[in-house]
Amino acid sequence: MTVTIDWLAFLQVFVVAMAGAVVVVTFYAVGLRMLVRSGHAPVVSPAEFTDAITVITEKQAKRSAKAAAKAAKRNPLTQTQKRIALVAAYAAFAVCALAVLGGLLLIVFNH
Amino acid sequence: METAALIVVLVIVLALFFDFTNGFHDTANAMATPIATGALKPKAAVLLAAVLNLVGAFLSTEVAKTISGGIIHEDEISATIFPSIIFAGLIGAITWNMLTWLLGLPSSSSHALFGGLIGATLVGASAAAIDMGVVMSKVVLPALIAPLTAGIIAFTVTKIAYAMTRRYDNKPDGRDGFRWGQIFTSSLVALAHGTNDAQKTMGVITLALITVGWQTSSQPQTWVIFACAVTIALGTYMGGWRIIRTLGKGLTDVKPAQGFSAEASTASTILASSALGFALSTTQVASGSVIGSGLGRRGSTVRWRTVGRIMVGWLLTLPASGLVGALAALVVVWLGQVVGVLVCAVAAVAIILAIFLRSRRNAVTSANAMSGVADSGHAVKVKRNPPPTRRQRQLAREQARAAEKAEKDAAVRVRADEGGNGK
Repeated sequence: MTVTIDWLAFLQVFVVAMAGAVVVVTFYAVGLRMLVRSGHAPVVSPAEFTDAITVITEKQAKRSAKAAAKAAKRNPLTQTQKRIALVAAYAAFAVCALAVLGGLLLIVFNH
Repeated sequence: METAALIVVLVIVLALFFDFTNGFHDTANAMATPIATGALKPKAAVLLAAVLNLVGAFLSTEVAKTISGGIIHEDEISATIFPSIIFAGLIGAITWNMLTWLLGLPSSSSHALFGGLIGATLVGASAAAIDMGVVMSKVVLPALIAPLTAGIIAFTVTKIAYAMTRRYDNKPDGRDGFRWGQIFTSSLVALAHGTNDAQKTMGVITLALITVGWQTSSQPQTWVIFACAVTIALGTYMGGWRIIRTLGKGLTDVKPAQGFSAEASTASTILASSALGFALSTTQVASGSVIGSGLGRRGSTVRWRTVGRIMVGWLLTLPASGLVGALAALVVVWLGQVVGVLVCAVAAVAIILAIFLRSRRNAVTSANAMSGVADSGHAVKVKRNPPPTRRQRQLAREQARAAEKAEKDAAVRVRADEGGNGK
């Protein structure tokens, strides 16, 4: 009995999965970075203030919202620079969404 | 023929029950991290997971084809005994799934299914009826490689996520925004779970239909896809109440950036594997990602004892469910098809009921939660105050040097003032 293993398929999965995850995470992180640069630092409170160890308290959420507002006020960039950063942020999020959509379409049309 | 039809109906019912337990068991795979970070309300998370599992089941059928047309050589087994063997295999899978659920042991529903089927085929037919090549290349090797792959990817992307958003001026870094992202990536994981796990049951039902000649191709029929999709979605939703009560308390220390990276890695690994027909365990992939992303955070160390415990649970699943499947097949072989299947069915119902009633006596705690993923979060210890990065160290050195210089200048100035006053 001979067992043939398609090692190339494993490599393919690794490369495709790595490329997909890197594109999604990198562009999303760039998008967040650009949002901060444009003076729109995202402050996202937890959907529910549970007693989970990683969920911040309401007090901490308010404090970070205050810090974000303060940082936005002291942003040294000009209005044009801020606008460019905001456009770049949305473009990065769009690339991220397109990568996910592309991956899903590939699966749907491949089968 | 009537007996075969009856057994096939029993196989379909049992397979759908397995599908239900699979969804029930795996809700946490997609939703452990977003609930832990507060990205989603637990109830909303569970509902989202159920809906996306349903959608995912319709996206691809490659994994179903692997199971229905690859692992077992249908031509090596007589058509009269084959449905009973599948039945015995399912009993092995369900019993092991329920037992590990009761004991809170980490286990993979997929491997329970493969173990059950392989064990039952070995006893009910012969070793020649199993395609070892397919078992090795599409089940065993992916089981070993997939968690490692997911771990490496999660480690890399966590490093990227933190590096891209790091600030050195103590101003807001925007990492809160990863909480939004988590809603999408966890949705992707739920979708990927549907594309991989629902198909395993589709494959088993299709295999049963092929053996009795009701179908010739390995492509699942539409009603099979629909039934499996609905059942896994229902199981996912029903399994949620336990997750709400356990993950809400916070089992693992996962930050939004880390959770986002882990989910991106899990989803991409499962989706890429599903497209190529690898029937891997989503629990193992999600666990590998959680460990990898934990290691991607600064100052983290691995708790090898916890990793070892999780891996022993994984390694045990295939032979243990195989053993139960083999025992069930032995009963079928000894007592004859009809009596054997009925005895097995009664025994399985009794065991499932006993386990279910026993589980109701236990309070739901982190010890008996069904989340192997949350469990793997404990495998990595992250320091509360991580060591500084190279650039942070450099900045600190520069600040120290500047402070020292300012101090010296001040001292010189004081001395000069004193000298001036003396004159």
